[in-house]
Amino acid sequence: MLNEQEKEGYGITIFSSGTPSAVKTRKLLFFIGLCVIILIQACYWLFANSVEPIVIGMPFGMFFIAVFIAIEFVVLLVLYAIEANEMEE
Amino acid sequence: MSWIATLIVIFIYLLFVLFLGSMAGRKRESSVVEYIAASRNLGFIIMYFLMGGAIFSAFAYLGGPGWAYSKGAASFYIMGYCALGLVPWWLWGPRAERAGKKFKYVTQAQLFADRFQSKALSVIIAVVSVLAFIQYITLQMKGSAYVFEIASGGRIPFWAGALIAYVVVVVYVFIGGVRGVAWTNVFQGAFMVIMAWILGLYFAYALYDGPGNMFREIAQANPSHLLVGPGTKMSSAAFFSALLVSVLGFSMWPHLFMKAYTAKSEKVLKQTIVMYPTFAIFLVPVLFIGFAGIKQVTPEVLGAPDRILPWMFNNMNFHPILVGLILAAALAAAMSTQDTITHAAGSIFAQDLVEPLKKEKHNEKEATLWIRISVVGFGLVSYLVAIFGGQTLVSLLLGAYGSIVQLLPLAASTFFWPRATKAGAICGVLAGVGYNYLIVLKIIPKFWDIHAGIQGLVLNIIVLVVVSLLTKPMELTHVRKFVTLMDTKPLPAEPEAREPIPETPVAEEPA
Repeated sequence: MLNEQEKEGYGITIFSSGTPSAVKTRKLLFFIGLCVIILIQACYWLFANSVEPIVIGMPFGMFFIAVFIAIEFVVLLVLYAIEANEMEE
Repeated sequence: MSWIATLIVIFIYLLFVLFLGSMAGRKRESSVVEYIAASRNLGFIIMYFLMGGAIFSAFAYLGGPGWAYSKGAASFYIMGYCALGLVPWWLWGPRAERAGKKFKYVTQAQLFADRFQSKALSVIIAVVSVLAFIQYITLQMKGSAYVFEIASGGRIPFWAGALIAYVVVVVYVFIGGVRGVAWTNVFQGAFMVIMAWILGLYFAYALYDGPGNMFREIAQANPSHLLVGPGTKMSSAAFFSALLVSVLGFSMWPHLFMKAYTAKSEKVLKQTIVMYPTFAIFLVPVLFIGFAGIKQVTPEVLGAPDRILPWMFNNMNFHPILVGLILAAALAAAMSTQDTITHAAGSIFAQDLVEPLKKEKHNEKEATLWIRISVVGFGLVSYLVAIFGGQTLVSLLLGAYGSIVQLLPLAASTFFWPRATKAGAICGVLAGVGYNYLIVLKIIPKFWDIHAGIQGLVLNIIVLVVVSLLTKPMELTHVRKFVTLMDTKPLPAEPEAREPIPETPVAEEPA
């Protein structure tokens, strides 16, 4: 059996030691946000399984996926900007 | 005689790629880290096209329009997974990059084998990877062969087309290593993306007066073609699980995972991930081509759906030179993936399968030579499979994804769960891969149309956790070094490894 200290060392470690709680919350929010984007695209048929309206020449389902690709790009860009700033600091 | 002009354009393109790929590795040091990881020194633009070229493959370029043509809305999944595939890499990419610099890894299996202190795991991963690679590379060779067959009006047989692509790729991968792959991908990536946009929009406007009209006509003729779910070509569960297994498995493909070791810095790696979804947008016109073909040719006349793109170009009375350029772009898509995989497979076979089983280690030059020999051998095996095998492009790839996604728990436990043990890791991978293949080979039934890889993954995770908790934990200091990689500052980029310049004698200073 493992003692308490060992259990701690073997526990799931997601963040680097000394990560402020605000940063942890922010990272978790981005993680959840990206998971939601993945799930929405995987389940697009729940929200946009139709041809009409045709938007920018695409059937609605295809347009819906394209919009979420754009949202994903923006989310990643924001995440990168924040982390790049932190790395410089 | 127009086919001769078309073929001349294709051969000029091939010669240029051959030249570019072969020159890229010139005057570089003959070492394993240079041949596999470009001395960990690739910048953003090259990384972007290197990763993009790997995904913008025959699967996307020939299989994508084929799916749009034959399965309709099911093809939207390709856009989704292309955009999302690299997102999980945000979690392990930078960690793998740091581990590579710190512990000198150049392959994915080296990382996992070291974390779990197991040569057996290295061999298992190498075998799983190479098996999946064969399926994947077969796909690219078939794509190339289709291109030659169509370009020559059937005069270049399937076996010869695949052989030409095999020889060209193997030559520049053999000489140039990952730099050869990277530089050809920059050219091929830019070329095929430009061609895709021009043609996708051209077909939609020339044949239907715009993509909107095109989709309306398709919906009128076949109302369920642009939908997924019951009564369509793909069930909702199949769409969901195909996208999910592709997203989870994408960054686990060894040829992509090990590119973390080629990046100059963590910053470059993250920039690549951020920009990656743009490649999915490039796929929109590629799908348009498939949709545009629906009302132009019947499936009986076409034969295999994967032939829709070359068929469209060849039957629209384009100038032969333009047809040559278009088919060269399709060839670029297939070859830009084929070279990455051939390079990775050779590297993995030599480094993860041969090296751990050898008692005496090779020196740098011998090891690099072994990789080069493996590149040729692997390409040959894949070529034979491409000639004698017989599935359609996309189903081949989906089968491969099922086994590659089984490496995901290894990555997660390496970087986040120190309690995972060697026995847990080995049992988990074997259970996941085994279960996946039992379903693929139809020995056991598929549960509710959910992808075999996802079902194998669930079993894999359960087995990994249970067996790890039942076995003795591994040494704490050893396993902690993998979860604390991000605690320290990133290591600086390594200096570029060039061929050593012979020292010239320096004249002695006068006394």
